[in-house]
Amino acid sequence: MPAILSLDRLEKRYGAVRAVAGVSLEFDAGRVHAVVGENGAGKSTLLRMAAGIVRPDAGAVRVLGTALPPGNAREAIRRGVGMVQQQFALAASLTALQNAILGAEPVRALGALDVRRARERADAAAQEIGVALDWDARVETMGVGDRQRLEIVRTLMREAKVVILDEPTAVLTPGEADALYATLRRLAEAGRAVVVVTHRLDEVRRYADVASVIRRGVLVSTRTMHGGAEDSIAAITRDIMGAEPPPQLERARRTPGEVRLAVRDLHSGRALRGVRFEVRSGEIVGIAGVDGNGQHELVRVLAGLDAPDAGEVHSVGGGGGIGCAAVVHEDRLAEGLVPSALVRDNLVLGELARFTRFGIVDAAALDREAHVRAARAQLSAASLDLPASALSGGNQQRVVVARVVCGGERAPVLVLAQPTRGVDLIAARAIHGEIVRAAESGKAVLVLSADLAELRVLCDRILVLARGRIAAELPPDAPDARFGEAMLGAPRPVVERSSEVAP
Amino acid sequence: MTAASRSAVLATVAGLAAGWLAAMLLVWLYGESPRAIALQLVTGTWAVPYGVGQVLYKATALLLTGVAVDLALRAGLFNIGAEGQLAVAGLAVAGTAAGLPATTPAWIALPTALATAALAGAAWAVVPMVLRVRYHGHEVISTIMMNRVADALVAFCLARGMALPGTVRTADAIPATHLPRLDAVGLRALHGSSVSAALPLAVGVTACVAVWLRRSRIGREVVLVGMSPRACEAAHIPVGRRLGVALLVSGAIAGLAAAGPVLGNKGYFESGLGAGAGFGGIAVALIGRGHPVGLGLAALLFGTLDQGGLAINGRVPMEVVTVVQGVVIAAVALADARIRAVALRGVTS
Repeated sequence: MPAILSLDRLEKRYGAVRAVAGVSLEFDAGRVHAVVGENGAGKSTLLRMAAGIVRPDAGAVRVLGTALPPGNAREAIRRGVGMVQQQFALAASLTALQNAILGAEPVRALGALDVRRARERADAAAQEIGVALDWDARVETMGVGDRQRLEIVRTLMREAKVVILDEPTAVLTPGEADALYATLRRLAEAGRAVVVVTHRLDEVRRYADVASVIRRGVLVSTRTMHGGAEDSIAAITRDIMGAEPPPQLERARRTPGEVRLAVRDLHSGRALRGVRFEVRSGEIVGIAGVDGNGQHELVRVLAGLDAPDAGEVHSVGGGGGIGCAAVVHEDRLAEGLVPSALVRDNLVLGELARFTRFGIVDAAALDREAHVRAARAQLSAASLDLPASALSGGNQQRVVVARVVCGGERAPVLVLAQPTRGVDLIAARAIHGEIVRAAESGKAVLVLSADLAELRVLCDRILVLARGRIAAELPPDAPDARFGEAMLGAPRPVVERSSEVAP
Repeated sequence: MTAASRSAVLATVAGLAAGWLAAMLLVWLYGESPRAIALQLVTGTWAVPYGVGQVLYKATALLLTGVAVDLALRAGLFNIGAEGQLAVAGLAVAGTAAGLPATTPAWIALPTALATAALAGAAWAVVPMVLRVRYHGHEVISTIMMNRVADALVAFCLARGMALPGTVRTADAIPATHLPRLDAVGLRALHGSSVSAALPLAVGVTACVAVWLRRSRIGREVVLVGMSPRACEAAHIPVGRRLGVALLVSGAIAGLAAAGPVLGNKGYFESGLGAGAGFGGIAVALIGRGHPVGLGLAALLFGTLDQGGLAINGRVPMEVVTVVQGVVIAAVALADARIRAVALRGVTS
């Protein structure tokens, strides 16, 4: 019997990036199939192609053995492939019922809306998954959990054989997440194929029948889960993080000095729930963990862009907030660079005040500094007059790192979020060199990375951030399984001192 | 030239051609000869000194409103409110210029009057600025609304005592506030036309804005914020303050556009004086493409069309030339990713 939904060598390119590079996957009836991978691995793109929302460059999507026309969401829905996207597609000012039937309204003769039949169908779908919804409530008054249930009901009313959910628990509380998975289990038991895109390993362990790992656009592995065996979780962790040979780096002995950055009991919304740690002068501390566990919010607080709800950030020699830390943000095209501005301007972004006299920018002084920094980033002088968008990803990241390192010379703390994501190996090595240099010059350095191999080479100790808390502190040579365990958000924080670094 | 800017220039040229064709088609439907009308449009403007002067007079206000809209656009803001800013500034400058003691020397009177125009224009941008910076309210909506409020305010003030009894015009400005007409200062050839010293003033303002955006710290940061507010925020550039200053300066320049009609031509403000120049400025900014010379050429083009409309009005309705404007704006707006980004903000975020 063919799988309900099969993907055949799907390819998708965005500019120079191969988001999905030839992935073939099958989804069977009766199973909850998790598709896991770090942010930007290509898993969402893959399933958006499956649902006809994104048109593949090559490859085919088959439903029960017959190919779907590429990039045709309407036809995909008609043939039984429904997707609940991360951003719900609901009309806020309409009622739940109106949303449920939107685009597929049952009508009587003369085109009049058949409200009774609409309600019957909606009730039937809701009953099937064991949820109750107030059909007359307007969507804008509904909670996130109910909105998501409504989306699922809507998918079922279109007779979906395959239900795809993209990061469904990103917006849910743990209790709601449990309820969601109970719902998904019912769907699977009723003979549907359920596909869940997620980066949370604990969900994979607890709920998935099958787990496929996507990494850098490629399918790395597909495993059948047997009651959440820990060794398969460890293997999945390795698959997600990658076990490439670590970049060459001389590990110099450094003696940590006094505490430069002290984070105490940091709370921010649901993202950060009591984060505390310290970083000493001359020390490189890593923060491992799967994206979406509070990394983004932590970086924004450290950068002084967001105020925490509670807790404090203390840095010696900088005070709190702005000026405390020089920060390389995670998303270089959105936060690191102004892509359409010249490389020259990007190298000194936010520092014009330094080159200004009586309100006028001293172009010559700016140019001198830009040349110094370009040389540090190993960029040719000619590239100064190109827009930053014309550089490769690796060179763009070098621009950002050169700016932050040079511009933040006096900042006692250096924070780098995903410093080598999507960066070629040579640039990655250069960036690692900068990180080590900063530590050797006495800065406290914090590196957040989804790449465990990277943290192992760079860091003196590694903290694991899971669900907004520091779940563990591990030496860089701790076994994979320990990291995997901690990333699942072990109930009580495990603190283990590294043998190499005396606190 | 990058692919994006090449396609934008192409869209401008194609839009101009399409607009011209559409206008000529209308002329033909009116039963007139497109060739004769086109000829009349040219001879009525650039072939006679008076026509040249009138074109320059119209282009003066269009250049300033164009610079105003363009400046906001560089910051990623779409200021649709130049029309209202100009109207309020016109009334304010006329009131001030008429209210100054008759003995005020010109070196005090003229700068005071000009400052009033700029301040009034900026003041009319304050509400959209606060809504945008503090509450993320879309400035397109708020500036459009402020245009309607400006209409009502001007009518109200004229009705309640600012107009001379029985008229819709204000009292005469004192002579010391007059911007001399160019025909009075040596350019006799332009005899009778309304072009005044507001023209060199407008050119000067255009140059100053260009230099400010290129050379000053704040100007450069305004442009960077327009390109990527998120990256600027992350680099600790005060994004809100830069947006605010861009919108205020934009309003001030739109306000200055009232100087030509009020101080250089009529010597007073009347209902409807300068109307249309604010909206025309949007077209000028879209065609001028963020370059001072481009803005100047676009102002001349639309000034010519404005004046040419009058020249052909006897045979076909002058609105024929507005067709050219409309088609060009639509074509450019569609082709310009920058405009799309501004227009769609709030829809997609």
